[in-house]
Amino acid sequence: MAKIAIDPITRIEGHMRIEAQVEGGKVTEAWSSGTMWRGIELILKGRDPRECWAFVSRI
Amino acid sequence: MENAVGSVIPDNARIIRNIMNAIQFVQDHSVHFYALHALDWVDVVSALKADPAKTSELNQSIALDTPKTWKTSPQYFGNVQKKVKALAESGQLGHFSSGYWGHPEYKLPPEANLMAVAHYLEALDFQRDSIRIQVLLGGKNPHPQTWLVGGMAIPIDPNSQNAINANTISFLQDLARPALDFVKTVYVPDLLAIASFYKDWASIGAGCGNFLSYGEFQNDNTSNTTNTWLPAGFIRNRNLAKVEPVDHAKVTEDVARAWYKYSDGDSKAKHPWEGETNPNYTGPKPPYEFLETEKKYSWCKAIRYDGLSTEVGPLARMLVAYASGHKQVKDAVDMALKKLGVGPEALFSTLGRTAARGLETLVTVDMLPVWINQLAQNMHRGDFRIHNGDKWEPSSWPKEAKGYGYHEAPRGALCHWVVIKDGKVANYQCVVPGGWNTSPRDAKGQPGPLEAALKGTPVKDPNRPLEILRTIHSFDPCMSCAIHIVDSNHDEIVKVRAL
Repeated sequence: MAKIAIDPITRIEGHMRIEAQVEGGKVTEAWSSGTMWRGIELILKGRDPRECWAFVSRI
Repeated sequence: MENAVGSVIPDNARIIRNIMNAIQFVQDHSVHFYALHALDWVDVVSALKADPAKTSELNQSIALDTPKTWKTSPQYFGNVQKKVKALAESGQLGHFSSGYWGHPEYKLPPEANLMAVAHYLEALDFQRDSIRIQVLLGGKNPHPQTWLVGGMAIPIDPNSQNAINANTISFLQDLARPALDFVKTVYVPDLLAIASFYKDWASIGAGCGNFLSYGEFQNDNTSNTTNTWLPAGFIRNRNLAKVEPVDHAKVTEDVARAWYKYSDGDSKAKHPWEGETNPNYTGPKPPYEFLETEKKYSWCKAIRYDGLSTEVGPLARMLVAYASGHKQVKDAVDMALKKLGVGPEALFSTLGRTAARGLETLVTVDMLPVWINQLAQNMHRGDFRIHNGDKWEPSSWPKEAKGYGYHEAPRGALCHWVVIKDGKVANYQCVVPGGWNTSPRDAKGQPGPLEAALKGTPVKDPNRPLEILRTIHSFDPCMSCAIHIVDSNHDEIVKVRAL
């Protein structure tokens, strides 16, 4: 029985971590964690809605 | 925004958006298959043992029913092999370093490995060239600059050098042709050839079994139309006999297991119009060995459809289209199933997810010339309209308005919800494909799609978890990039000099 963590996971976009419980040569449980905070929603509050596209297209 | 204020875009804006998104699908999927996913299946070091003459024979034997125009000679493969050998002997594998080379789960013969490595390198050139379609229409890639509420900010004028004119059309056509060639003679044949050695992966990585597509490539100009080339739909519990219509009101997010705080309780499933974004990190202080996975453990909220963990992306779109009887998708999927000798149930897997992405590229690349011609025909008729300014001025908006915008990004269902009050954004929530697929457990403890898919994945060597990477990468996760270089001490991170 082993718990493993893969962090950072490469060849994806952004930052992600996987923790997995491995038993008998198989994953029995897995947890997926986004390790990056985005917060674009907060930048947009109070802005002119016509300019949102220029911010959100950066996601 | 267009949905909130009732703006209807002109036909040319719709067509240009379709073209830009179609080439984005083609380029993004090709990049994913070769640069991000292939090395989970392809052993680069084994390619050194290949016979270039046999590699050439293999490559010529796997073409689809289209003329083969790609480089396939023994000399070509011999040269690629020399290049990789020089890298290996220098001790600096560059972007091939740190792979799990020699892992017993790599199953391709050396010739297939050499073919795939050659095409990995070709794909780097292809992705640069093909995306010029988006650059022509969007100014740059990524993050094209010509979006505009009510249409597009790129003029059409046959008499101007600085607008979309007949030259642009012919340029677009010249770029679409090699894209079609690459997909039909390189990407999809490689995909099917590689898949034939990994059929055991058609029963691994099934996931949650619920699939959502908002539909994409609009056939008419109203926002969130259900009249799309790739259909919208929801598939529940792998039931391909029934495709349910999509209702955006059924999309919710809870933060029971995510590092956020809701004003009325973290377990409450909130529709995005009522959504909140209050960061609240409660995890361990780094450096740590493991997260507290029994509590909160992610910056991704738990996105659910009708309360259910739901997968989005090319597999979801292909399943919804297949189950809806979409002719092109049905033909492509049936062709692949027949070539691999498997039934539709094989689609619910890591292999199915990866295959669906290639098949979607195959059907989408065929539509590029169709939409480019539609644009040319409109111009021929003298229709140069690109923007509808009727709802541009805030004085034309209601005091309060709510909107949502369905879109299918290459990685899957994407919708933004906006609440506008007195001409300003009162609330905005982006519910993105990576968020759906990599979402954590929810208030009921239901795992997210990737978490569910990893359950049961074999791991031969926990120190080299190649199999786990296969299933992760099959989702093409995008954890939302770009604005994340933050340094609270205001130290200089990078200096850019504009010349």
